[in-house]
Amino acid sequence: MKINIILLLLLFFVNIQYLPAGEIRDKTEAVVNTFAGHEATLRFQKLLINPKQKKDIEIQVRQRFFKNFVYVWKINVGDSLKGYAVLDNVYGKSMPITFLVIFDTTGKIMTTEIIKYREAYGGQIANKNWLNQFSGMGEESAFKKGVDIDAISGATISVNAITKGIKKLVLLFSYIHESIKSS
Amino acid sequence: MQKYILFLIFVLTSSALKAQDDFFEPKSTLGGYGELHYNVSKTDGATESSKTLDFHRFIIFFSHAWTEKWSFKSELELEHNFVSGSEESGELELEQAYINYHHNDAFGFQVGIILPSAGFTNEYHEPPLFLSVERPDYAKYIIPTTWFGNGAAIYGRLDDFSYKMVVMEGLDGSEISATKGIRSARLKGYQANAQELLYNGRVNYNGINGLVVGGSFSYNDAYAGLDSTISTTLVEIHAKYDANNVIAVIEYGNILYDGKRMGFPIEKATGYYFDLGYDLGSSLKIEGRLIPWFRYTEYNTAASVVGGGSGEKANHYKKWLLGLSFKPMDEIIFKLDYGAKKNELSDKKDILFNLGAGYMF
Repeated sequence: MKINIILLLLLFFVNIQYLPAGEIRDKTEAVVNTFAGHEATLRFQKLLINPKQKKDIEIQVRQRFFKNFVYVWKINVGDSLKGYAVLDNVYGKSMPITFLVIFDTTGKIMTTEIIKYREAYGGQIANKNWLNQFSGMGEESAFKKGVDIDAISGATISVNAITKGIKKLVLLFSYIHESIKSS
Repeated sequence: MQKYILFLIFVLTSSALKAQDDFFEPKSTLGGYGELHYNVSKTDGATESSKTLDFHRFIIFFSHAWTEKWSFKSELELEHNFVSGSEESGELELEQAYINYHHNDAFGFQVGIILPSAGFTNEYHEPPLFLSVERPDYAKYIIPTTWFGNGAAIYGRLDDFSYKMVVMEGLDGSEISATKGIRSARLKGYQANAQELLYNGRVNYNGINGLVVGGSFSYNDAYAGLDSTISTTLVEIHAKYDANNVIAVIEYGNILYDGKRMGFPIEKATGYYFDLGYDLGSSLKIEGRLIPWFRYTEYNTAASVVGGGSGEKANHYKKWLLGLSFKPMDEIIFKLDYGAKKNELSDKKDILFNLGAGYMF
């Protein structure tokens, strides 16, 4: 009986501990649904990044990918492909910043959202107005603070990290598109 | 029994998969900043100017995150490169060391050695974050940067607003002075007297790109010995704009004292400064930012004294600075500034020239 109780308690804590995982997925899909409309269908895929492409982009942007994969949701309305939502992370000062970029089918950013920010400082990067600056940007954009991105006082590290993180996904877009458009 | 174990294995493995999705990994992080200064100053009438080369600050940030909610953060500072026992010859300070609980965007708390939130420089004092070689005088004589102490804080962010509220050790009322305001009254977490606690609150607005604007309020009935206190209230507002190549900063603050019962003569300290700079980086097509800038500042640590008179002029300073700052990247800065500081009572002027190099990571 005692062991049963211990096991139940353990189960309870294990689940509490990992609860945010579901939260990230739920929040991401809620954001995509709100953006794409509820008639849209989402197809989730964990996409491994081609190592050569990964390295090229890392050198160009001067930031490593968080993992060797990204999470992609293919967005369809009926039979027509509307775009892709890509979830990735970058390190801020010490914690991961989980962010989402929604692309149209040509690789232009439609919207960007911070799904989870974990640090005490620098959370202002989640402000809608600031993130709106990325909308419409694509491969040809500078992604440079002071040029096409405004600074945020008190969030220097996060601003730099997320700007590079978004740029990486923009450069990865053609790979994402080629890999899963027909899947 | 067996089915419980099977179930447990199932839950553990499914949780492990979920945990992967959670992205967080426990981790220790190092960071730091530092600054080297070359200061030249020449007082009116003096035959020789004073020249110093000072590695003013060397700082190590050390932090560890156990989970994405629970972490530890610290900042250890060596000032003036050498410590021999008294403040003038150097300081070793633990300026931050706290446990941080980050519940969500709207709420978190910190317990340990923390920073009250007053003005820009107290919480964000890495050299690449301000234009001048030395920190603004305002951030020394009105807001006693770096102001730190033992206590607890809550913080959070709601849409475009962020807040921080602090309860911490108070000030040493017997050390509040006409020449240095509350600077020498900081207890710095050293066996701090907790007779009267300090309450501090700050709100910032970040809703317009490139702009942050906010204000703070701090109150402490500064303990000055048995039955004596000096009620001290610091109110300040601050705004910073950094967009379209323009950098503009303005801060304004007042300290109101009430120590009449114990014969404390100062009633008010006041000060402000503004910076105006323009980033030539993109028009010159250079990598990084090249910013010529101008600062004007005025402060008076005894702006209102019981009985008035010349006492209200003795600690009144006006200062201007012209400078040039170059940031090859956000984390590195080279600075140069030139200016003059004048005392309103003596009319004596100091001519100042400073060079600096700073970094952060």
